[in-house]
Amino acid sequence: MSSGRSFPVLRPLTFVVLAVLTMLGSRSADAAPPKGGVANLAMIGEPQSLDPMSTTADLTATIMQHVYESLYTFDSQWNIRPMLADKLPKISADGLTVDIPLRKGVKFHNGKEMKSDDVVASLKRWMEVAPRGKALAKNGATVEAKGPLAIEFKLKTPVPSLLAHLAMPSGFAAIMPKETLVTPLKDYIGTGPYKFKERKPDQYVVLVRNTAYSARSEAANGYAGKREALLDELHFVPVPNANTRVEGSLSGQYDFADVLPVESFSRLDKQEKVEALLTKPFGFPYVVLNTKSGPLAKKEVRQAILAALNMNEMMTAGFGDPKFFSVEGNHYPKGSLYYSMAGADHYNVGDPKKAAAMAAAAGYKDTPIRIMTSKQYEFHYRIALVMAEDLKKAGFKTDIQVVDWATLVQRRADPALWDMFTTHSPFLPEPTLTPPQLGDDAPGWWKTPAKDEALKAFNAESDLKKRGPLWGKVQEVVYDEVPYIKVANFNGLTARSKKLEGYTPMPWPSFWNTGIKK
Amino acid sequence: MIKYVARRVLGMAAVLFIVAILVFMITRLAPGDPAAIMLGDQATADDIASLRAVYGLNKPIATQFFLWLGQVLHGNLGQSIFLQRPVTQALWERAEPTGLLTLLSLSIALLIGLPCGITSAVFRGKWIDQVFTGVAMVGASIPSFWFGLILMQIFAVGLGWFPVAGYGDPGVGLMVRVHHLILPSTVLGVLNSALIIRFTRASMLDVLGDDYIRTARATGLPEYRVILKHALRNALIPVLTVIGLTAALLLGGAVVTETVFGLPGIGNLVVSAVLRRDYPVIQGALLVIAAMYVMVNLAIDLAYLVIDPRVKY
Repeated sequence: MSSGRSFPVLRPLTFVVLAVLTMLGSRSADAAPPKGGVANLAMIGEPQSLDPMSTTADLTATIMQHVYESLYTFDSQWNIRPMLADKLPKISADGLTVDIPLRKGVKFHNGKEMKSDDVVASLKRWMEVAPRGKALAKNGATVEAKGPLAIEFKLKTPVPSLLAHLAMPSGFAAIMPKETLVTPLKDYIGTGPYKFKERKPDQYVVLVRNTAYSARSEAANGYAGKREALLDELHFVPVPNANTRVEGSLSGQYDFADVLPVESFSRLDKQEKVEALLTKPFGFPYVVLNTKSGPLAKKEVRQAILAALNMNEMMTAGFGDPKFFSVEGNHYPKGSLYYSMAGADHYNVGDPKKAAAMAAAAGYKDTPIRIMTSKQYEFHYRIALVMAEDLKKAGFKTDIQVVDWATLVQRRADPALWDMFTTHSPFLPEPTLTPPQLGDDAPGWWKTPAKDEALKAFNAESDLKKRGPLWGKVQEVVYDEVPYIKVANFNGLTARSKKLEGYTPMPWPSFWNTGIKK
Repeated sequence: MIKYVARRVLGMAAVLFIVAILVFMITRLAPGDPAAIMLGDQATADDIASLRAVYGLNKPIATQFFLWLGQVLHGNLGQSIFLQRPVTQALWERAEPTGLLTLLSLSIALLIGLPCGITSAVFRGKWIDQVFTGVAMVGASIPSFWFGLILMQIFAVGLGWFPVAGYGDPGVGLMVRVHHLILPSTVLGVLNSALIIRFTRASMLDVLGDDYIRTARATGLPEYRVILKHALRNALIPVLTVIGLTAALLLGGAVVTETVFGLPGIGNLVVSAVLRRDYPVIQGALLVIAAMYVMVNLAIDLAYLVIDPRVKY
C-alpha cells in the first residue's frame, strides 16, 4: 500500500471501466463546462509532501499532477501518450537507446521556456530520489540532452516499462526548471494548468489557474490531450474523517470527496445534488507472507495457507455488500491486457481439511502464525480476523498483532517479527509496479529461480501482445510459490456535486477540463 | 505571595523538564519511523537510512535528546519533518482555532452548567433537579464523535445553517471562521457542561446548608441575592477548579472533535504527528500543552485569592 495521510489510498486500473461509465453518461454535460469559480475538494488528509518525486503517496500525486507534468501520460485505455514530449520516442532495435523529442514553446510557471537541460536535470533528480527512478538508475540507465529540445535515455538492458514509469503520477517524473531542483523542494514550479499558490497544513492547498498554460492540441482523453484550467482555483482540503467527507458532500460544502466508505453509497446515491461514483474495481487487498524466515519460509506451508482461505468470507467481512467487491482469481481484471486465470485453481479453495493435510505433510507443527494488521483501513483488520479463523479451522495456530500503520511499516522490515501482514494495492497499468513483492528486497523477501525466470521473460518483452501471456506465467508462479495472496477485487467510492461539470472519474482525480455551474 | 509564585514557577520548570524527558523517550521508544512513512511503499532500506540521516535520526538517542533540549532552551522547538516548517510556527498557526474553540466551548459550558447546577441545588429532589441531573449524566456519557456527527447531520446537512467541517476558505474573515466553530463548540460545550452542572450542584448543596445562609435569609434578603451573592461565591472554588481543568484540556486540543470537524487545531496537529511519527512536532506540541496546563493551574490557584479572601499564600 502506498502511504498517505497518512496513507493514501491506492489507485487503480479501473480507468477502462471509468471511461466506459463516463461515456454512458456519468459525465455531467455534453456542453463545455463553465469557466471561473472555485472547487472545494475533500481529500483524505494532509499530503505528507508536495514534492511529487520524493513520495509515491497518491494524495501528493493527485494534487501535484495539476502543477507538474511529465514527458508522457496515460489515455483512458492506459495507452502511453505524449505530454511534454512532442511525440512517442524513437527506440533503437536493441531497445537500449530511447530518443525523446520535446515540445516547443512550453512555459514553466516562472515564465521560462522548457528546454532539454531542464528535462535532463529533472529526470536525473527523479533517478536520485524517486523509488522507480532509482530502480532505473540502478540498472545503469543514463539520460542526456541531445540538442535544446531532445533527450536520450541509454539503457543497459531493455526496459519495456520505461514510458509507464515516466507517466505514473505517483513517484512522478515531473519536469521542473533546473534552477528549482533542490532537496527538499522550496518552490513548486511546473508546467501544468494550475500553479501552486499556498499551503496551510491541515487547512488547504490552493492552486490557481495558469493563464499562460501551453496546452496540447489533441482532444482530451484520460490524462492525455488538451488540458484547460476552467476553474479559477482548486482548494484541496484535508478531511481525514471519512464520515465528515460524506456529510460535507451531502451538505454541498465539498464539490468532490475522495475515498468514501462504501456503506455511505446508498445515502449519497439518494441525494439529488450529489453523484456517487463507484469505481469497479478499485484495487485488491492482499496478504504478504514471510518467505525468508519462520514457519512460512517453507513453500508447502504457504500453499497450505492458501488452500485454507475462503475469500468470499474474508471480503464479506471487509466490505459487507457484494456490490462493493468481486472474488476473482485473475490478478488483473477482465478487459485488461494482463487478464489471466493461470494458477487460479489454487484460489479461494477454502478447504480446511485439505489445508490441514497439506500443512501436516509440509511438517508444520504448532508454531503460531503471526498475522500483523492495522486499523488504518478497517478492511485490513476485518480481513485478517476472518483469515485467522480460516487458518484455525485448518489446524494452524495464529497470533493476530494489531498495530498502527507506522508500526506495521517499521516492523515488516524485520523478517524476525512477522509471518503475514494485510495490505492493499491499486491496479496499476504496469504489473511490475505493484505489489512491491514482485521486485527485490520488499518485505516478504521473495527470491527464487522461478520468480526470476518468469519476471525476466516478462520484463524483456516489449511487444504488448506477448506481454499478456508472459504475465500469466508470472501469476502462475505467484500461485505456486505463494509470496503473497490476492484476496479479491474491491470497488472504490467517491462523490461529486452535480454542479461540478466535466469531471471524469480518474484513478488520481484530476480537475482540469472541469468547471462549476453557477 | 511573590514567594509563592516564584516557588510555583520553579516547580513548573522542574515539571516541564521531566515532561521533556518523558515525551522524548516515549516518542522514540514507540515503534514506527517517519522516514519509512514519508517515502512510501516503494522505498528501500537504503532510501530510508538516507532520509533518517538527513533528519539526524541516525544519531544516538542521547545526542538527539541533548540537541533538542539545547534548541528548546533557546526557544526553538525544532523543525517539523513533514510540514517543513518550524514547530513553533505550526503551533502558532493552530493557536487561533484551538483558542477560539476553547473560548466558545467554555462559554457554552458555563452558560449551561452554572444555571443548571444552581437550579438543581436550589430545587433539590424536585423534578427539575432530576431533569438536570439526568441531562448531566447523559452529557457525560455521550461520545463526542457521535454527538458531533448527529449535530452535523441535523444542522449542517439537513438545515444547512452551518458548514460541516473545516475552518473556512483562504482569506475569509473572523466571523466566517467563528461560524465554522459553532457546531464543534456546541459539542464540546454541551459535553463539558455536564461536569460543571454536577460540581456546581454539589458545591451549592454544601453551602446552602451553612449557618450564614440561614442568617442571610433571616435578615430578609431576597432569595436570589442569597443564592447568587452569598451562596454562589462561596461555592465557586471547586467549580473554578473544574472550569480551569476543562479550559486546560481544551487548550491542549479537543482531539476527537477537531478531527471530526476537520479543524486545524492543536489536537489535530498532535494526532497527525503521532500517526506520521513527526517527532519534533509531537515533542514540541506536548511540551507546550504541558506548559499551558501548569500555567492554567497556577492561574486558578491565584484566582482563589480573588474569590475567597480567606485564602492566603
